[in-house]
Formats: sequence, C-alpha cells, structure tokens
Amino acid sequence: MRKLERRAVICLLLSVFLLLGLAVFCFRFVTEGDEWASFPANKHLFADGNLGCGSIYDADGELLLRNTADGAVYAEDSGIRRATLHVVGDAAGNIATGAETKFAGKLTGYNFINGTYSRGGDGRRLYLTVDADVCETAYNALDGRKGCVGVYNYKTGEVICDVSSPSYDPNDPITAEKAEDGGYYINRLLSATFVPGSIFKTVTAAAVIDHLDYEGWTYHCDGSARIGDSNVTCVSAHGDVTFEDALCQSCNGAFAALTLELGAETMAGYVDKLGFTKSYSINGIRTAKGRFVFSETNEAALGWSGAGQSEDMLNPCSMMIYMGAVANHGRVVVPQLVSAVKSDGGFPLSVYIPRWRLRLVSADTASVLREMLRNNVVNNYGEGNFPGLSLCAKSGTAEVGDGTSHAWFTGFLDDEEHPYAFIVLVENGGGGAKVAGPVANRVLQAVIENE
Amino acid sequence: MFTAIFTPLARFFGSHPDIGQWYTTIFRWVFPLLALALLLKVIRSLLQAENPAEKWATLRLPNGSELPLTHWENVLGRAKSCDLIVPLASVSRNHGTLVRDEEGVWYYNDLGSKSGSFINGKPVTEKTPISFVDTLTVGGADLKLMPVPAAERRQNIRRRLFFSRPESPWSSLLLLTFFQFFAALQFIVAYGEDCPAGAPLSLLCLAALMWVYYFAMRGLKRVAFEMETIAFFLTTLGFCVCATAARDHLLTEFAALVLGLALFVTLSWFLRDLDRCKKARLPLIALGVAALALNLVLGQVTYGARNWISFGGFSVQPSELVKLVFVFAGAATLDELFQKGNLTVYVIFSAVCFGALGIMGDFGTALIFFTTFVVISFLRSGDFSKLILILGVAAAAGFMILRFRPVVAGRFAAWGHVWEYASTAGYQQTRTMSAAASGGLVGVGGGNGWLHNVAASETDLVFGVLAEEWGLLIAVLAVVCIVTLGVFAVKSISSGRSAFYTIAACAGTTFFVMQTILNVMGSVDLLPLTGVTFPFVSVGGTSMVVSWGILAFLKAADTRQNASLAVSVKQRKEKGGADYEEA
Repeated sequence: MRKLERRAVICLLLSVFLLLGLAVFCFRFVTEGDEWASFPANKHLFADGNLGCGSIYDADGELLLRNTADGAVYAEDSGIRRATLHVVGDAAGNIATGAETKFAGKLTGYNFINGTYSRGGDGRRLYLTVDADVCETAYNALDGRKGCVGVYNYKTGEVICDVSSPSYDPNDPITAEKAEDGGYYINRLLSATFVPGSIFKTVTAAAVIDHLDYEGWTYHCDGSARIGDSNVTCVSAHGDVTFEDALCQSCNGAFAALTLELGAETMAGYVDKLGFTKSYSINGIRTAKGRFVFSETNEAALGWSGAGQSEDMLNPCSMMIYMGAVANHGRVVVPQLVSAVKSDGGFPLSVYIPRWRLRLVSADTASVLREMLRNNVVNNYGEGNFPGLSLCAKSGTAEVGDGTSHAWFTGFLDDEEHPYAFIVLVENGGGGAKVAGPVANRVLQAVIENE
Repeated sequence: MFTAIFTPLARFFGSHPDIGQWYTTIFRWVFPLLALALLLKVIRSLLQAENPAEKWATLRLPNGSELPLTHWENVLGRAKSCDLIVPLASVSRNHGTLVRDEEGVWYYNDLGSKSGSFINGKPVTEKTPISFVDTLTVGGADLKLMPVPAAERRQNIRRRLFFSRPESPWSSLLLLTFFQFFAALQFIVAYGEDCPAGAPLSLLCLAALMWVYYFAMRGLKRVAFEMETIAFFLTTLGFCVCATAARDHLLTEFAALVLGLALFVTLSWFLRDLDRCKKARLPLIALGVAALALNLVLGQVTYGARNWISFGGFSVQPSELVKLVFVFAGAATLDELFQKGNLTVYVIFSAVCFGALGIMGDFGTALIFFTTFVVISFLRSGDFSKLILILGVAAAAGFMILRFRPVVAGRFAAWGHVWEYASTAGYQQTRTMSAAASGGLVGVGGGNGWLHNVAASETDLVFGVLAEEWGLLIAVLAVVCIVTLGVFAVKSISSGRSAFYTIAACAGTTFFVMQTILNVMGSVDLLPLTGVTFPFVSVGGTSMVVSWGILAFLKAADTRQNASLAVSVKQRKEKGGADYEEA
C-alpha cells in the first residue's frame, strides 16, 4: 500500500495541471476580459453587431454619439460629425481607434467584477476630453487637405483636439473602396507615421544640448554642403550661424554637421529616449511607433536624418508629447482622451487622474530648448502671426519625394494659464510655417476662446 | 399546489420587470456567497480530515517490537516501500504479502523470495491462511501474527470517531437548499410568464431528494456527507445550466439524477465486499465490450461522433457507462499486483475501448480513457519506462489521427488563436470567452445569458454558461470541487484498506479531473476543443448517472469511521480474536 501512496502522486499532477489552467484563465479573464466582452457577437452589448447602449459627449457635454437599440445617433451638426469622426468612431467599427470601438467596455460599464450587467441596460455616458468646437475649427482650417491637428494640455494630459483629414459624415458613409484609397479610416494623429522634416531638428537639438559644447559654436552655410559623396542643401545660404540661429533658420547644413558630431549611436539613443520609437497608450489606444535609420556608414544619409529627412518616419502624436515634455520642464504627462465616465443618470463613476511618466529631457535642456523655440517664433515665424499666444514652435517642410512637401508646425504655449502643446500636419501642403502655421494659430485661438 | 404558487408568481414578475431586476441585482451577489460558504466548510472538512489508520492486527518481531497492520493488504519485506519492514539482510526486498479478507481471515503468500517463507515450519508456496499466534518465518526470523486486544480496539475506534469526525453537514445542506430555492426564483424572475415550470420545479425537487437522501443515510448511521454535498452542488449547477440551455430536458435530467443516486447507493453497497467485486469483474468487462459493440452497430452521429444509441425514445451513451466498467477492470488487489501478467486482461479491454472510441470518432473520450489507463497502469506497475513507452505509442496514434481526421486537425489549427477563427473553428470558444467575460465575477443572473444559443453549450461549454449567468466565482468553485474530490481520493490511500479501493478511487478521480480539464480548458482555448462533459454539470442523462456511479468509487475509499455505506460497520467475529462490535 505504501508503494501506491507514492505512485498516486501522478493523480495529483493532473489536478495541479487543472488548477494551473484555471489560474491562467482567471488571469486572462481579468486582463483581457474587456476585449472579450467587446466582441461584436456579445449580445449583452451588441445588437446585430452594433453597440446597443452608452453615449459619448465632448468635454462641454455636447452629444457626439448615442447608441440605441435601433442604431447609433450622431451629433446634430454635420461639421462636428466630420471633425470628430476619428476620435468618436462609428457604429460600424470602421474607425478602429474610435471611442465607440475602443471604449465599448466603458460605454457599457464593463468591468471584470460586475461584467456587463446593468440593471436598466442603458449603459454609461462617456465624456471625452476633446472640445467638439475646437475640432470643427481644426477640421475647417485643414480645408479639405489631408493631415491632422492635435492639441493637448501638457499639465493634465487632456487632449483638446484630435482631428484627422480626410473625414466623412458617418450619417452618409462612403464606400469601403474609396475609404481604403483615401485613408479615410485612419486617425493620422495616432495611427500613422510621416517624414518629419525640420521639426525633427528639435530632437537633434536636445542631443546637442546634452552632448556638445554649443556655446560659441558656429557654422558657415553656403546653401549646400558636401558630405561624403553627396550634398546637404538648404533653401538659401544662411551664412554664419550659431546653434540657435541654425534652429531658427532651420539650416540643414548646420544640423547635418551637428548630427555627424553626435554620431549614429547617440542619435538612435535619443529617438528611443525621447519616446519616438515606442507606442504610447492613450487610454489603451496604442499610437504608431516611429522608425528612424541612422546610417553608420553613409555620412550624407546620417546628416540628412538628423535634419528629419532620409528614411525617418515619425508619429505626429509622439512629437506633440515631446513638445509637451519640453514645455513641462522635461516631464511627460501622457495624453488621455477619456475625461469622465458617468452613469446614465449622471452619477460620476470615474475620476480623471493625470498620468505622469518618466522624464524625457532634463529640466535644463528643456529650458534651453524652450528659449530656442521661442526665438524661432520671435525672429522667424513672427509674433504677429500668433497674437497673444506666447508661442514656442518649430516648423517643418518635409520633402516626400514626389516634388511636394508635408507642412508641419509643432510647439506649445509657454503660458501657465494656457498650457497647450500642439502639432499640425498638412500633407503635401507646402511650406511649414506658411501653410501649417496659420492652421495652428486658428486652432489655438479657438482653444483659448473656448476655455 | 406548486402551480398554484408558481403561475401567479410568474405572472407577477412578468408584469413587474423592475422588481425582478432588483431581485437579480441583489441576489447575483448572494449566490456566490452561498456557494462559497457551503463549499468552504465541506472542502476544509475533506482536505483537513485527519483519519487515523485502522489497526487490524500486529506482527511481533523476534526482538519483541510490534508492527501494526494498518491495511487489509500489506507487503512484508526489507524495502522502505514495504508496509511491514523487517530490516534483515536475509529478508528479500519484497518478501511476501499479508492479506485479510472480508471475514477477518489473514492469508500469507510468498513473493518468490530468496530464502522462502514458512508458517509453523511448513514452506509457503501459495496463498495460505495464517491464524493468530502462528509463527511466520522469513529470512530466518520468527514473526508472530497477533490480534488486537478488544480493549485496545475499542479505544482505537473511539479515537477514530473523535479525530475523523466529519463536519456536521446540516449547515452546508441548508445553505445549498437556499441556493436552490433562490435559483428557482431567479429563473421565474428571468423568464416571467414564459418560465417553463420545470426550471424551478426541478431545482425544488432536487432539494427535496437531497434531504431524503441525507435522512435515509442518517438512518443508516452514516455521518460523512462532504462528497455528496459537493456532488449535489455540482448537480444543482447542472440543473441551472439545463434550465437555460436545454429547457426540454429538465425532466429527463431529474430522472437521471434519481437513477444516478440509486446507482451510487447500490454501487456503494456492492463495493463493500471485495470478493464480490473481484468476481464481478469479468462479467462486467464482457458487458462493457457488448455495450461498445452495440454502440458500433446501432450508433447515431451527434456533433461528429457516433456515440449515441437510442431505443424507445431514450438515448444512451454506452461509452459513458463503460467508464464504470473501466474502473472495475482497472482496480486490483495487492495480491493481484504481484501476479505475473496481472495487467493482461486490463490492457486487452483497454485496447478494445480505445479502438471502439476511435471508430466512433469520439477522440475526447478516448483521450480521457487513455489518461485513466496510463494512471492505472502506473499505479499497478510503478514502471516509468513502461509509462514513457505507452505515451510514445499514444503520441504516434495522436499524430495519425491529426493526419487522417481533418475535423480534428482543424480544431488544432485554431487552438491558441481562436479570435482569428472567430466565425469558423473558433466560433464556440470565442463566444464562450465573450459570454464569460460579460458575467464578471457574479454573473448576469440565471436565464439572462445568450451563450445557451450556441451549439453544444449545455454540454461542452457549460463552464462558459456558468461564468456568464452565475459568475466566474461559481464557475471556479465548480472546478475546485472536482479537484477537492481528486485530492481526497489520493489522500485516502494512506488509510486505505485494499489496493482495490484506492486504485478504483484514483481511476474515478482521473476520469473526473481529466474530463474537467478537457471540458473547461477546451472551451476557453487553453486546449483544443474536444467536446467532453463536465461531471455532474453537463446536461445529459448518461453523463449524470455515470458521474454518480464514479462517485461511489471515491466514496468507497473514505474509511473514516462510519463515513461511507461502502465500508461495512456490521458486527463480525474475528477468528482467533475477541468478539467486538464497532460503534
């Protein structure tokens, strides 16, 4: 009998296996349960694949979408419907990163303890951080051109504006073919990457401030510099420039020279350190990762990549976050899109808590950068073009290879009362400061007006 | 009387859905609490129960020390794994066996030892009765088999009564009755006027049957009810699943429970007599083979497996019933373990079972039989190399199945990423997980789910149905119940009387645990979905009957004083010993 006792351990092994499996399932139940519950076949939440309950509002309480048993009801104003399409999403789930799809669990009140159960079955009210009127202003400012506009509060993380163009009216959906061809379904701010052009010089600049002795450093620009076996060119000859001038005039030659001094390894380290190669989670929506190539062998390519050309690809949101960090003494407050969740009766069920993350740059570096970006506006873009904003910014005109250029404008308001960081992209729009700058001004004026 | 209360109640909740919603909102939290309260007590009692070994006789060594015989079957020898260790170099590692029969007669048999064995000087060549005060000579040492004095025996029984006293069952029973009552009300609330009368009625009848059983057993002076309470709890969950996913089957399900309980009691009684069990083995094996043959001839295909036969409106799954035979065939006494080729009959019967299940296309059940086969063979032989050989052959067979059965291979392809196959091979698993998540920890309330619309939800996806309607806590508790039964069966070996009972208990446990592994883990994509039943919970008459049948084997291993009907407490005479009566 004693022999049997020992052998019977084999029976216990099976029980242990069963308990382990159960533990794995429970772990997944807690961590992945919201995704399981958001499966469109879940009849507790979806009727014919459409969410049957919950409603979405902007920060001011303007209704953007209400789910009913008969389908979704969108905002009344068609302009608002188009402007907020990408952040709100659609009932059909075409906008994969929209709140309707991504926050289905919040709309229905799912959590792993309570499940999807709600006594009345009316769902929850989801308040986004965005301001629908600002979004409409931004959408109108883009004026039918492709691109995106993002604005967020770098002290609290609230995203005020998240607009992507082209868009369409969800009450009058376009064909899937047209949507595929035009990239209508993609939220360009969060889910796409583009050639950054000169706005990337703010990244190189951070590395220079940390690693090189830039005080008294000068560079002579002839409009074209021979590096390796090819030329790095500027729009015009900038003459003798200091480091600050180089950023202000956006001198490619100077930044190529600085990049070569820094070296490929340092540059690669900085795009990682400053968060450009990682995916941020914005209430669970993952941003696209940027991709940067710093050639160890081709000096010209390395020089160009330090100026934001070559093979660099950047996610607009990651740049906006970086600008927010520079404005906020080097520390990042991660953007959030969900302001509050309330019961159908209006009872608050969540508290907005800013999510601090690691420091991207030192407070000193941030301070130097802030001065330089301020200098850009004062001495290049023109204070008068941005009345009352105390703007710090960098423009970018990114050559995309077909003769056209993406127009970029990014930066922040150096203003405790109005702590906003922003990014504007107008695809194939032309000159950065000329094309994207006015868009930024219109949107930022609207942000302050709507506060 | 029932309809007089039921009809207006159903009408009331039908016309006042808000009151019903409040009921569910509150009571969905009450159900897990009730379940937790009733099971914690039972589980603790089973797992912590101290069960001092019974002492049947002593063996006096030449130096005057005495070895207690704590089992009916003992191996005597020099090895540490022996029950009676005689530490002399002249004694073989496994020298001989000392076995007691139902009548209290002891037998000695030599296991081919080098120096041989002698009783009163006569060499032992076959199983020989040995009386108290006879002299047993092994390896030159004279040993004496001594009876336990009546006074000490009475003292032992009192000690066992004190230490192995099971928890009083009444509070658990009462909590379970509340659970059943509130669950019945929950279905009326959920269905309103459409409520099938069977849903609450079957739960209430279950409660009544449960109390009848307890009082009957109390009448027979039995005191341990933990296993039955666990089984009744699981059956309650099974009825809840049935009331959702198979409303037309409530009556047959209840009938199956009555049959199952009857089988449980009968089998418990039958298992008392070891000789009777040994004799029944061959006829049962023949019966099992016949059932499988009948299945192959008359079988009907359901969900891709031809494992049903129906006659006169009833359908039966013979492969389920064969599980009971399989346990009988696998169990063996210690003596049999030492006989050459002791596994032959069992291996042949197993091969017939695997073959028949293979032809039927019921690979999930085949895997369960196979695992049980491996466990039993290992228990009987203790041979690791043989074990590995068996597993190797099985792996090859499994590979052949995947190669030639595209349906099975398809299930393997979806395994681990069912969400990519959400409308094909992952259909059931994705729905199970989605519905389970919707339930949260406490469920959306009985009758309020949708998973029951998915095919085979009442059998293969019951874990999901439980999680959706009754919550993850209760679904997890259901699995913990099965594990508890398993751990108790293994634990009981240390005080087991005969290898026959302990092997049978381990085999029964393996059926339970393996079924639960495949059922639960298959439905949530931790394993490929194979379509087997969750013991007691899955809807199905045969499955219910057989689950209760297997429970009898576990119950027979419970040797706590007066615990089980399967362990006799009748008055008897010890040959050569004093008369005594067990309390």
